[in-house]
Amino acid sequence: MKTKRILSLVSSFVLPLAFGTMIYILWQTEILHRIIGADTVTLPLPSRIGEIIGANSQSIAEHTKITLKVAVGGLLAGSILGYLIAVVAAVFRKWGAGGLALVSAFNAIPIVALAPVVNNWTRDMSGEVDIRSTAAKIIVVTIFCTASMSVNAYRGLTELKPFSEDLMKSYAAPKIVVFAKLRLPNSLPYVFTALRVSVPSSVIGALVAEYFAEDTVGVGRQIRENIVKGQYPTAWAYIAVACLIGIAMFVLLTIVERIVLKNRRRT
Amino acid sequence: MKIKKFFSSQKFIVFVWVLGIAVIWEIFAFIVAATKRTPVNVLPHLWQIIEAFFSDKKVSGKMTMAELIGTACQETLLRAAIGFAIGTVLGYLLALLMNLSRIVEKIAFPYLMLIQMIPILGMAPIILSITGDINTSRIVIAAILTFYPVSANTLAGFKAVEQEKCELMYSYASSRFQLYTKTLIPSCIPYFFTGLKISAPMAITASILVDTLQGGNGLGCMLSQSLKGGMTRLVFWDIVLISAIIGILSYQVMGLIEKLICPYKRTKKAD
Repeated sequence: MKTKRILSLVSSFVLPLAFGTMIYILWQTEILHRIIGADTVTLPLPSRIGEIIGANSQSIAEHTKITLKVAVGGLLAGSILGYLIAVVAAVFRKWGAGGLALVSAFNAIPIVALAPVVNNWTRDMSGEVDIRSTAAKIIVVTIFCTASMSVNAYRGLTELKPFSEDLMKSYAAPKIVVFAKLRLPNSLPYVFTALRVSVPSSVIGALVAEYFAEDTVGVGRQIRENIVKGQYPTAWAYIAVACLIGIAMFVLLTIVERIVLKNRRRT
Repeated sequence: MKIKKFFSSQKFIVFVWVLGIAVIWEIFAFIVAATKRTPVNVLPHLWQIIEAFFSDKKVSGKMTMAELIGTACQETLLRAAIGFAIGTVLGYLLALLMNLSRIVEKIAFPYLMLIQMIPILGMAPIILSITGDINTSRIVIAAILTFYPVSANTLAGFKAVEQEKCELMYSYASSRFQLYTKTLIPSCIPYFFTGLKISAPMAITASILVDTLQGGNGLGCMLSQSLKGGMTRLVFWDIVLISAIIGILSYQVMGLIEKLICPYKRTKKAD
C-alpha cells in the first residue's frame, strides 16, 4: 500500500516533468517551429531566450520591480476595497445583495477598455509622468481585483455553518462580537479563493495597463516595445519574466494560504 | 411566496443601484465639465454618450455612430465566438480525457494550472507576430483564455459526482460508455456552464485587446483610433459602454442556455 502511494507520488512529478522536457526538446530542435509554422525569429530557441535574460538581467530586474509595484499595489487596494464592500453589504443585507449583483456584473466588463481613460483621470494629479502613470496603472489593477474579492468575501461573511449563528445568539453575543468571532474567521478561506483568481489577474491587469500607460516602463510595455522594434528574442525574454512573476506570486499565495489556514480542513 | 417577493424586490434593488451609479457619474461629470478644458476626454455626461450613439451625424467616412459600432461589433464578436467555441470544445475534451485516464491527468493538470498563471493577454503581441494575421491571433487568444476555465470547471464537475451514483451504475452493470453518457456528463453540465460564464466575457475582452494592437475593423481598433484623435472622443465612450453591455450580455446568454439545457437546476436554486 505504502509503496503504491509513493509510486503514485513519484509519477505525478515525473510524468509532467517528462512532458515538459519533451516540449523543451521539440522547441530546441526546431520541430515545434515546423508544427506551428513559425520561424526562429518570432519564436526564438529557449537557450537564446535564457541568454538574453542573463545578459539584460539588470534592466529586466528594474522593469520587473515596476510591474510588481503596480500588480501588488493594485491587488492590495482592490482586495481591501472589495472586502470593505463585502462587509458593508453583509451589514445592510437587503440592499447589499443587490449592489453585489451589480459588482459581479462588473466582472463581465472588459476593463481593458477603461485603461486609456484612467490615464486622463490622473492627468492633473502630479506633474511627474512617473507618478501619475503609476497611479493610473494601479487604479486599473484595483478595478480588476475588486469584484472577485467582494463577491467571495460576501459569501464568506454570510454563508455560516448551520447552528453557529444560533449558538452565538444563545450566548447573547452582540452583533459586533458575532462579526469579529464568527463572520470574520469564517470568511478567511473565501478570501483565499478570491485571491487565487485575483493574483493572476492582477499580473495580467498590470501588463495590459502598461500597454496604454503614458510612461513606457514595465514588463508588459517592454514586450510591446520590443516587438514594435522587431527584437523578438528580447520580447520573449520579457514574456518569460512575466510568466515567472505570475507563477512566483501564485506560489507565494499558496504558501501563505497553507500557513494561514493550517488548522482548517480544506474544503 | 416569500421567495417570489424577495426576487421581485431584488430586481428593484439592482435597478436602484444602477440609478445611483448613474447619478454619481453625472455629479462627477458636472464637476469635470466645470473644471476641465476637455471634459469629453475625462468624463462626459451619460446623455452625451447615448445621444452620440443615436445621432445621424457622420463620424467616419459615410458611417454614423451606430453603423460604425455595429460593424465593428460584428467583427469582434465573430472572432471572439469562434475562439470561444474552439476553446470550449478543446477544454471539454481535455477534461474528459483527464477523467478517463490518470496518466493524462497527471501530465496535463500541472500545465493547466500553469496556463492560468501565465498572462496570456500580455502575450497578445507575440501571438500576433507568430500568426501574422490579426484575425487568427484573435481566435487563438480567445481560445486559450476560454480553454482553462472550461477545462478546470468540467474536471471539477466530473470529480464532484457522488460515489453512490457511480456505484449504482456499477450495480446496473453499465458499460463505461453508459456511465459517462448517463451519469457523469449530465451531472457535470452545471460546472461546465460555470466555466463558460467565466470565459465568455474573457473571450470578448481578448478580442478587443488584440484589436488595439493593429489596424483593422474591430471594436478595439475604433477604440484606439478614437483615442489617437482620428474620430471624436465620444466614439471611445460609446465603445466602452457597448463593450460593457456585450460583456454582461454574454454572461447572461450563457446563463440562459444553461437554463434551457438543464431546467432541473432551476428548482434546485429556488430552495
